[in-house]
Amino acid sequence: MEISVSEPERRSGGSSVKMQDTYTVYLVETKITDPEMPGHGEPPSSLWRRYSEFELLRCYLEVTYPHIVIPPLPEKRVSHAWQKLPTDRFDPDFIERRRGGLENFLLRVASQSVLSRDKMLHGFLKDEDGWKDSVYATDFQSKADSKLRALSAQYRLKNTDRRFDELKNYSSEVQTYINTILKIRARLADRLYGVHKLHQNYGRVFSEWSALEKDMADGLQSAGHYMDVYAASVDVLLEDEEQFADQLKEYYCFCDSLRTLCRKQELIQLDLEKAEDSLAYKTTQREQLVDGKSSAFSFSGMKSKLFGSDTPEQREQKIKQLDEQIEESELQVQQATEDAQHFVDLALKDVERFQRQKVKDLKDIFTNYAILQIDRCKKGINIWQNAKECFTKM
Amino acid sequence: MDPLSQGIEEESDEIDFDYYLSQISPQPTGNSTEAQPKPSTADTTSDALNACCVQPLSGLSLTQGDDDNVTETDVKDLFVVVDNPEKHTTAMESYITFRVTSKTTRSDYESSEFQVRRRYNDFIWLRQRLEETQPTLLVPPLPEKHSLKRFDRFNQEFVHMRMRALHIFMSRLAEHPVLSFNKNFQTFLTAKQSEFQAAKKEGTGFMSRMADSFHNMSASYMMKNRPPEFVATTEYINGFSDKLAVLDRISQRVIKEQYDYLSELNEWGPVFTLWSNNEGKLNDALVAMAKAVEKCFLSLQQLADATEHSLSNPLREYMLYAEAIKVVLRRRDAIQMEYEMTVEELNRKKDEKDQLNKQVETLNDRATCSNADLKADLDRWHKTKRRDFRKVFSEMADRNIQYYQQCLAAWEEAIPLIQKTDATHDDLPHDLHQ
Repeated sequence: MEISVSEPERRSGGSSVKMQDTYTVYLVETKITDPEMPGHGEPPSSLWRRYSEFELLRCYLEVTYPHIVIPPLPEKRVSHAWQKLPTDRFDPDFIERRRGGLENFLLRVASQSVLSRDKMLHGFLKDEDGWKDSVYATDFQSKADSKLRALSAQYRLKNTDRRFDELKNYSSEVQTYINTILKIRARLADRLYGVHKLHQNYGRVFSEWSALEKDMADGLQSAGHYMDVYAASVDVLLEDEEQFADQLKEYYCFCDSLRTLCRKQELIQLDLEKAEDSLAYKTTQREQLVDGKSSAFSFSGMKSKLFGSDTPEQREQKIKQLDEQIEESELQVQQATEDAQHFVDLALKDVERFQRQKVKDLKDIFTNYAILQIDRCKKGINIWQNAKECFTKM
Repeated sequence: MDPLSQGIEEESDEIDFDYYLSQISPQPTGNSTEAQPKPSTADTTSDALNACCVQPLSGLSLTQGDDDNVTETDVKDLFVVVDNPEKHTTAMESYITFRVTSKTTRSDYESSEFQVRRRYNDFIWLRQRLEETQPTLLVPPLPEKHSLKRFDRFNQEFVHMRMRALHIFMSRLAEHPVLSFNKNFQTFLTAKQSEFQAAKKEGTGFMSRMADSFHNMSASYMMKNRPPEFVATTEYINGFSDKLAVLDRISQRVIKEQYDYLSELNEWGPVFTLWSNNEGKLNDALVAMAKAVEKCFLSLQQLADATEHSLSNPLREYMLYAEAIKVVLRRRDAIQMEYEMTVEELNRKKDEKDQLNKQVETLNDRATCSNADLKADLDRWHKTKRRDFRKVFSEMADRNIQYYQQCLAAWEEAIPLIQKTDATHDDLPHDLHQ
């Protein structure tokens, strides 16, 4: 197993917005550090790409490498937003988060051994103007399977692969869980925001009240200040928490990638079964022809009685023809079986790679979340301790 | 409310009076069938209450100069506990009585311990009598007659809330340097049911009618020369009760928001658990997440429940206190006004001079006296208020600190579990297909 051969360093930074039909472009900078990689030693490249070009790249990769779990792009529109989160496409926070997502996407693609060697990927990173044309020139779109075909495959398959069925169910279930987690997280964020911001009112009342009091005035006044601090602390906190949501969203989308992979497997399986069907049909036909000689009661026997029997020469001729076709079909079946087996091997290998990555990533995501919460608690303790000091001095 | 929080609440109620009873009286808690062993978790919720009512509140003398270490200046010689509500049903009506247990070393009491049962209306009678006999002192407020929430009169939560408020009322009276020596108070604490009923009937009610007419008068006339000190006090009290009302509204909203947050958290944790069933190597991490979320849920629930008990109730009590003070201030105004009106009359009717002169003198004395009384009692009230709020808010801070500490611990505990690479899981080829 070849471990990732290249780890290009990328820095995508500043975005510029053009005036006519506004869109955002991102600066993609690449440097190839792995000596075995084509393009090693070349000066670092830097060019501008927009989101739709990332989409094109991903679409191309998905068609070209059906057996690989293609990393997802960051979401097109903000989902699972809590009330105060900006959802505008041109909001700096949204663009920043998308930038992070795009960078992550490229890093993930580059860390996959097969994908990292793709010519079009390198074109994407190096050839700003010519790249689009060369992608279309690969004619990848003709290979793209229509939704209809995929749907029919799902219903017509005789033998489904248990491993892929399980994978499909697994991704649907995990998607449901992540979806629920994200949905509740958004509501939690709303509530937390509410709880904190309500403390601003405490701050206001304490400072108004302090104007009425003599002995208690100072304590109330400064406690009010800490209530304001407490209210303000929620903004940074929820901003940071958005990262957690984005990371989970990536894995939500990864589940789509897994399902795409399963669909590809179904299509290939369908091709194999079609070939097998046609072989079986032809074999039966031949058997009937051969049997026709001895059995007078068969259907073909009836037919030959009604319409006049084939001459033995004609029959010989037909059998010979069928034999050729059968041979051809057998080859096709063999080819399809090999294809399917090849696909399954590659796909399962990549799924395994993906699973390892997933375990590691999710552990990190949860750990980061825990660290974030610890940070929140520490801040909370700190603020309330300060407030308590004011109260006890009252 | 979910059954879990209900459980916590009921528990803490029971423990409350068990706890302060044990502090005060060596007797067992009698027929308190619901008495339960005291779990440590409920301590936090009941602490605040205990602090308010059990610890000796300051028995300030009216001339007390300095504050802060007031608690130590006076030895407490009268303890009162209100507990053990009981429902009575007669053909005519249903009502709740509370057990009022008192313990004292005062010599004018026949015994050192008394136990009587009184109903809410009896407390109203007591307060009325105290107001009549001591019109220029600040008589602590009683809890509202009607529940603020949707509870009916016999709802357990409402009864317990009322019981706690009555307990605080009695404790404040017991500590009061003047009111605690009032005969009516003693009657209330010691009289047997029949004697008490008799005492209730013989009340004149004269003063209360007088006071009422004074209220109306003072509302319609402007004071000629109200001492600036009391002008300031009136303004202060108005402002004070406004602020408390706002604080109360805010705390209600915070609690509501916290409960909403809680119900979300309650759904959140189980999702991680469900997900963990689908994973091999990630199982531990997801379970750890679920656990941490659940612990945070419990801590926040504690915080929210405690806020309800130990912030809202004191706030309401002080709001009622402020109302009581307003009434006393109006009564003082009435006295002053009577004096002023009489002075005017004196000027008009020279012929009745002698007689009126005498009256003026008495009234002047009475006004001066009531001013002094009220002023001293206000000072005392301010000190108590300051101490109470110091406690209430410090405890609020403590609760929040505790909440955050518990969450902190939960998350710190979670990290190693999330990161743990479990050997038993590593044996499996891969999580998906096994």
